[in-house]
Order: sequence, then structure tokens, then C-alpha cells
Amino acid sequence: MKNTLRKILLPTIFAILAYGFWISPDFKEISAGVAIFLFGMLALEEGFKAFTGGLLEKILKRTTDKLWKSLTFGIVSTSIMQSSSLVSVIAISFLGAGLIGLSQGIGIIFGANLGTTTGAWLIAGLGLKVKISAYAMPMLVFGIILIFQSSRHLKGIGYILTGLGFLFLGIHHMKVGFETFKDAIDLAEYAVAGYPGLFLFTLIGILATVVMQSSHATLVLIITALAAQQISYDNALALAIGANVGTTITAILGALSSNALGKRLAGAHLIFNVVTGLIAIAFIHQLLTAVDVISAFVGIGEADYTLKLAVFHTLFNLIGISVMLPFTNHLVRFLERVIKSEPDRYAKPKYINELALELSDTAIEALRLETNRIYNKATGIIAKGLSLNKKNIFSDTETVRIVLQHNKPLDYDIDAAYVREIKSLYSAILDFINRLPGDASVSKQVTRIQRANQSIIISLKDVKHLQKNLLRYIASNNANISNEYNLLRQRIATVLRRLEKIRNEEDASTSILALDALRLTLGENAALLHERTDQLIRKGTISAEMAISLMKDGTYANQIIHHLIEFNSNYLRSEERDETEAEHLISLNEDEIGSVLSETEK
Amino acid sequence: MKLKKLLKRLNAYFDDSSEQKLQTDEGLSKVLKKLKKKEENLKLLVAEESGDGEREMLEQELKIVHSQRKKGIELLSNLRKPESSK
Repeated sequence: MKNTLRKILLPTIFAILAYGFWISPDFKEISAGVAIFLFGMLALEEGFKAFTGGLLEKILKRTTDKLWKSLTFGIVSTSIMQSSSLVSVIAISFLGAGLIGLSQGIGIIFGANLGTTTGAWLIAGLGLKVKISAYAMPMLVFGIILIFQSSRHLKGIGYILTGLGFLFLGIHHMKVGFETFKDAIDLAEYAVAGYPGLFLFTLIGILATVVMQSSHATLVLIITALAAQQISYDNALALAIGANVGTTITAILGALSSNALGKRLAGAHLIFNVVTGLIAIAFIHQLLTAVDVISAFVGIGEADYTLKLAVFHTLFNLIGISVMLPFTNHLVRFLERVIKSEPDRYAKPKYINELALELSDTAIEALRLETNRIYNKATGIIAKGLSLNKKNIFSDTETVRIVLQHNKPLDYDIDAAYVREIKSLYSAILDFINRLPGDASVSKQVTRIQRANQSIIISLKDVKHLQKNLLRYIASNNANISNEYNLLRQRIATVLRRLEKIRNEEDASTSILALDALRLTLGENAALLHERTDQLIRKGTISAEMAISLMKDGTYANQIIHHLIEFNSNYLRSEERDETEAEHLISLNEDEIGSVLSETEK
Repeated sequence: MKLKKLLKRLNAYFDDSSEQKLQTDEGLSKVLKKLKKKEENLKLLVAEESGDGEREMLEQELKIVHSQRKKGIELLSNLRKPESSK
């Protein structure tokens, strides 16, 4: 049922959109604006990713490591850019790229809310409006040129500029699309006194900001309407409250393309602005008195409502921050509970925790179990990377047949799978190892576990390299090359199956020794592959390009097998048993395996 | 036999290096016993296997197990040689 729904959902959305585009050009303009905006978000995140682990990360860490610092960061950057939406969208992309944490992001968002009030001062005091959207076009041009550069950092800057350019362009198209609706907003029509008026104008403020995609634009509208006495001062304040809530729409839109972390931050933004708005509505009379007192203190005229509006805007955001700040940690926990992230569901350490750290024995056991989980997940990724299926590989069906059955290339993103299923587990293991007390009795075991993990990570990387040509050649019209690549797949599948048997069925005390037999086949197969490739080149049945790929990928296949064996060797040795040392002694070294191999060839 | 083993252990108790030796000796013996069993088992499997590819793999494994046993026996006999004859 769920699958059928999923299948019809996309075509239905397409049909509705297409019909909408046909009947309304404005709707088309708005939708295109949203699409361009989201594309800008993607480019922005891509750009920030280029700087992860580098200078930007360091700067951000240093400028946002404490709550007051991230607050200041938000205030200053918003005051400069004159757009809280842009700062919150950038904060979301920082978070999405893993440059900052959620509480730091929340600090920036809180700061941005205060920073945006400087806009009201500029508009009201100087009649000045900073318009950075004019830079959108140059940004796109410079950005694209930079994307074509080979340096990773220049490319990153290019993506950031292009992203910003598209964000502005998207917002521009949304605005143009909404132009017709804007004329319909005649504020004087709705003038109502008392609390109903307050709620009504807050709602109008929200709608107007959503429509115009800018709280600044709404503020300009409010100030003009106030100056023309279209609306009362009370109503203007309600509109300002609404504008503050409505401005979160940009962040929510931005979070659509982001991961769960970005969505959490957008959630924080919404909660903050709604709570602040509610506080302002609830204490509107007290706020009004406070505004009057402050205005009189700083010398703002009794009837200078525009400047008073700026005071009000700053004051209620300041109150919002002081109320919400003590609850930041609660907010973080709440958002983490409500918005679950996908990687957490897949790869969360199951065995390593604070408790396991207490005793070195339990720590080693926990590490081994976690490492075993990584292996199980990694073999699944390797199988899919080879366009095969792990369940089939571990079945009793002959591997030749399995490979032939899976003759269609499977477009599988190994990098994404690694991030989703392995990365967080691997870093948790490394972190756990670093925190282990330096107990000499277990250091050997820890080193083996570490080596086992390194091996599996390397083998995943090698599968990624092998996958490139494999996808191209297994479905090739040239039967010779597809046959060779199928043999590579078959070899790895056979080793995976054999390893699984060694791990599960055999007598634990001889399992380390059973790996020697696999090492032997590895050497043998490498020699055979070279021989066959030579023959194919001589016969001219494969092109030189194919031969080079095959030789390179043969080496990758060997490395994958080698590292899979090494993983199991280190993993099995990390278990402390009486016989382990004896097995280690009996285990054959490379020369000894070589001499068995040469005997076999005779 | 049992008395001999007991004496060996007693001796090892007072001497650190012979304790180490004894542990290795016992470990090797245990593994060798298991390997012997495995070799016999593999021989049976080779005789029963009809598929060429599978039999080839089993034969390879048999050779490896055989070499491992040979190596183990050699290690054990070296270990058991009296100090003077080494």
C-alpha cells in the first residue's frame, strides 16, 4: 500500500504543478522562485562542505564555541547583511555540512533575530535600505567562473557565491510572483481595535512577510502605512510581531533541502519567533509603556512613531532572547526528539558506552562487538557495490550463478552508504579507543581492533574505485571484458562467503589458520588474472583501454580480498584465548604460502 | 602419564621461563589435535565432492592444513628438545 502511494505521489504532484503552471503565470513564477531558492541552498551547502576540516571550521568553532559568541556572531552578521533570513539559511547550511552544532546554530538564530532589528533603525532613522539582492547577478557570474577552477577552495567559494546568487534570484522570482497579491493588501481596510485587531494584524504581518519573503519589506510597508496614518500605532506593532514570525518561512524553505540537523535548526527558529511573538502579544500594554519610557529617555519625540516602532522591535526581540536563552538545552533535546535524523537510526553505537569503559575487559568486548557490526554493514555495502546481493552471496547457490543472475549494473552510492552506516560508528570506535585508560595488558588487542577497522575502511574505498569500471563493463557488449569483470566479482563473492563460514561455523581455535587457505587462493588468482589479461591483449579481443582498466581493477580486487582477510585475521586475534598464541605461531607466512603455491603448480 | 604432566606443571610453577614454555606447548598440542581432526575431515570432503571447482578449493585447503600441521609439529619438537641439544 505504502509503495503504491509512493509510486503515484510523484506523478500526482507533477500533474497538479503542471496544471497550476498552465492556468496561472504567477504561480509558475513563485514555484520557479522556490525551486531556484532550493537549488541555491544545495549549492551553498556544497560550497561550505569544501571548507569542512579547514579554516572556516576553525573560525566558526572559535567564534561560536560559547553561547554569547554565537549570539554575537548572529547579531553582527545580520547587521552587516541586513537579512536575518539569509543568516539563518546560512546557519542551516553550516549545520547541514557539519561545521557547527545545533546549540551553536540556535545561538546564531537568536542573534540574527536581534541583528535584524537594526534594519528597523536604519529604515526609520535614516530612510536607508541596504539592498544586497542587487549583487545576485554578479555573484552568479563570479561563482560559476570559480566553480570551474581546479582548486578545492576556489571551487567551494564558487559554490557559495552561486548559492547566494540563486538564493537572491529565487527570492526575487517569488516576490515578482506575489506582486499581484501585494496590491490586494490594503491595510486600512482591516483596522480593528483591541485584542481582535492585534491578532488580525499579527496574522496579516505573517502573511505579508511570507508573501514578500522579507521582514524588511513588511517593515517598510508598515512604516509607510503608519506615516500615512493608514493604520494605528497599535496595529503597526502587531504587524511588526507578525513580520517577525513570518520571516521564518525562508528558513523553513531552506531546511527542506537540508538534513535532519538543518530541519531542527529551522524548527528552533520557528519556535523562538512564535514564542517571542506570543510574549509580545500577551504583554503588549506593558511593552508599550516600556517603549514610551525608553523613547523619552533616549530623546525620541512623543509622536515619532516610526522610531518608536524600531524601539519596540528591538525590545521584544531582546525579551524573547532573555526568556528563551536559559531553555536552549531543553530546546535542543526537544528538537532532537521530535525531528529524528536518519543516520542515527542506522548507525548508532550499540555496544560502546560509558559503562563499557569502566573495565578493560568489557571495553575490549564492546569494541569487538561494535567492530563486528561495522564488518556486517560493510559487507552489505561491498556486495551492493559489486552489483550483487549479500543474502545471495551467503546462500548455497554457486557464486558463478549468482554473478550471472546479477548481470545488471546497480547504481549504488558507496560514499552515501558509508556516511549513513559506517562513518559515525567508526568515529565512535576511534573516540572510545582514545578514551581507554592506557592498560598495557589490552594494548595489543586494541591495536588489532584498530587495524581490523582500518582494513575494512580501506576495502570499502577500493570497492568504490573498482565500481567505476565495473558498472561500465559488466553490461558491455564485449563478452570478453564483461566475463573478466564477472570473474573479479565472483572472486570477491567467494572470499566473502568463505570468510562468513570461517567466522560462523568453524571451530574458533582453528579459524585464524583457515585464513591461510584464502591467502593462498589470493596469490594464485592474481597470477591467473595476469596470464589471462596478457592472452586477451595478444588476441586483440579487448582494447588497450579495457586492458588497463582490467589490470588496475584486478589489483583493486586483490586489495579488497587482502583487506577482508586482514580484517578477520586481526579481529579473530583480538580475542584473548590460550590457543591464540599457538595459532599465531603455526600460521603460515608469505614465503611458506608461496612454497605451497609453487607445489600446487607443479 | 598423568604424574608426568603434574611434575611438569610443578616445575613450571617455580620457573617463569618453563611456565611460558609449558603454555606454548599446551597451546600447540591443542591446536595440532584440532588440525589433525580437520585434515581427516577435509580428506573425506575431498573424496565426496563432485564439483571440480569446489574440490579444487578443498584440496588447496587440505594442503594448507597439512603444511600448518607440519610447521606445528616442528615447533613442538623444537620446544621439547632438551636445552643442551638445541
